[in-house]
Amino acid sequence: MTVHQKNLRTERVQHALFLAAAALLIALGFAFWGTLGWGALRFFLRHGLNRTILGLRYHPIRGQFGLLPFIIGSLAVTLIATVLAYPLALSVAITATMVLPRRWLSGIRQAVASLAAIPSVIFGWWGLAMVVPLVRNLGGGTGFSVAAAGMVLAAMIVPTLSLLAIHAAMRVPERWVEGSLALGATPDQTLGRVVLRSIRAPLVEAGIVAVGRALGETMAVQMVIGGQTFMPRSVFAPGSTLTSEILNDIGLLPPGALGHHVLDVMALLLLLAMYGLVLLVERIGGREVG
Amino acid sequence: MKGSTWHGVAVVGSLLTAVLFGILLGDLVWQGLPQMSLGFLWRTPSELTSFGGIGPELLNTLVMVGAASAITIPLGLAAAILRVEYGARPGFLLVFDRMRYTLLSLPTIVVGLMVYEWFIVGLRWPLSVGAGVIALAVVNWPFVVDVSVAALKGVPDSFREASLALGGTKYLTLLRVVLPSALSALVSGLGMAIARLMGESAVLIFTAGINVSRHWGWSAPGETLAVHLWYLRTESVAPHADAQAAATGVVLLLLVGLVLYLTQKLAHWLKPMDA
Repeated sequence: MTVHQKNLRTERVQHALFLAAAALLIALGFAFWGTLGWGALRFFLRHGLNRTILGLRYHPIRGQFGLLPFIIGSLAVTLIATVLAYPLALSVAITATMVLPRRWLSGIRQAVASLAAIPSVIFGWWGLAMVVPLVRNLGGGTGFSVAAAGMVLAAMIVPTLSLLAIHAAMRVPERWVEGSLALGATPDQTLGRVVLRSIRAPLVEAGIVAVGRALGETMAVQMVIGGQTFMPRSVFAPGSTLTSEILNDIGLLPPGALGHHVLDVMALLLLLAMYGLVLLVERIGGREVG
Repeated sequence: MKGSTWHGVAVVGSLLTAVLFGILLGDLVWQGLPQMSLGFLWRTPSELTSFGGIGPELLNTLVMVGAASAITIPLGLAAAILRVEYGARPGFLLVFDRMRYTLLSLPTIVVGLMVYEWFIVGLRWPLSVGAGVIALAVVNWPFVVDVSVAALKGVPDSFREASLALGGTKYLTLLRVVLPSALSALVSGLGMAIARLMGESAVLIFTAGINVSRHWGWSAPGETLAVHLWYLRTESVAPHADAQAAATGVVLLLLVGLVLYLTQKLAHWLKPMDA
């Protein structure tokens, strides 16, 4: 056998191995869909779809499994976090790419990337140390609240969002900025009508990634939201999210207990939400797929 | 300059962000430092006194993240190579991409629930280091695929064409041309993946547990630093639990920082001269 034939044979084996790894990842994904789908189906057959998704009362011991308070809680903290974090992240990106000297950019990117690696429990710790007392003073009550969770999440997603916004802003060709300024546009007009306008798609995509992270965060939220299972009456009232409720209930609803599969329903809702966000990013076209 | 109001607003916003993170990290260090000592790093935790340590948690973090990475780096790299270098039918790649992006953004508590149902409930594994490693690997895998795909896509096509034109097979091109050129970006991306894994906690609570054993083993409970921080701050009744949590956080941050620093240095050193 010649060396070339040997190489070709090695190549076929390699190819098969790579294909197997990719297929295994797909299989893992389907295992998630299958397990959660099957568990949720069994739950719905017994407890009803609408009564679960739209139910207001969550009381497993009485057999009430309304998940609406958690769905609303998840959406509320995500909304608060995104609304608070987006302006800050955009400011960081504009400052880093358009105000400060270009030679600082790689240093800033590295610093922001390091901040993005801060573990979420540390944000939770900070939330307990500072945000909860702050909310207590602002809105009364204990301070453990939807608002506190939203603020902690906002701080958590700022680095990721800034990094993505910086990457987007770096894609704007220098010539466009210079051209706009040369035509007499003020820096503000250039920023609004040339820079931000040309990177709308990646900025929206960054927002979707941030929403995904906020929606999926468990620990930092669970530490400060208060864990109340009924609908929060205001943002300063304690609440719960789908993620924090799964964490609270895995221990309380062991397999075999009535309603154990409500955990699968909550997890399936999160899986569906993430899949929806992936399709949304695909539609916007910021990310190539296939 | 006239007409640059929004630039000013952006600078104020950036300063605000910097101050926010300065306060966050400063407060953590300020509260954690009094508890820090060399003994804290190797003593076992204590519920009764304020003289506990984080020795077993430190060991568990290093071993579990190491073992999980040892599983996911080859698997993730292989899947990424298929995606970028070899390709497959478009339908397969579409499903592959949607699946990996979904798994990448999936809340880690959902991964934790799955590993709990499959391994702890289904296979009757104990809450253990081993189950924790599996859980971490599932969380890490799509992340490794993501950074590997980015690194491989960074290699110009002309490199591949030159190698193939000279008679190199696909496999040799990959081994001798593509991987060496992508190595720097790969190391830096994998550093991010490992750093992220060190702070992972939601996936571990019901797979590795919130205890440590006197005797280390793959089937012994495997609380990590991040989980310990959460435990101290939510359930522990130990004296000075707050300060101990802060000190644990400082150690965790130093570890994450060390991983990032070393991999960035290595990546810089590996960077080809002409690139």
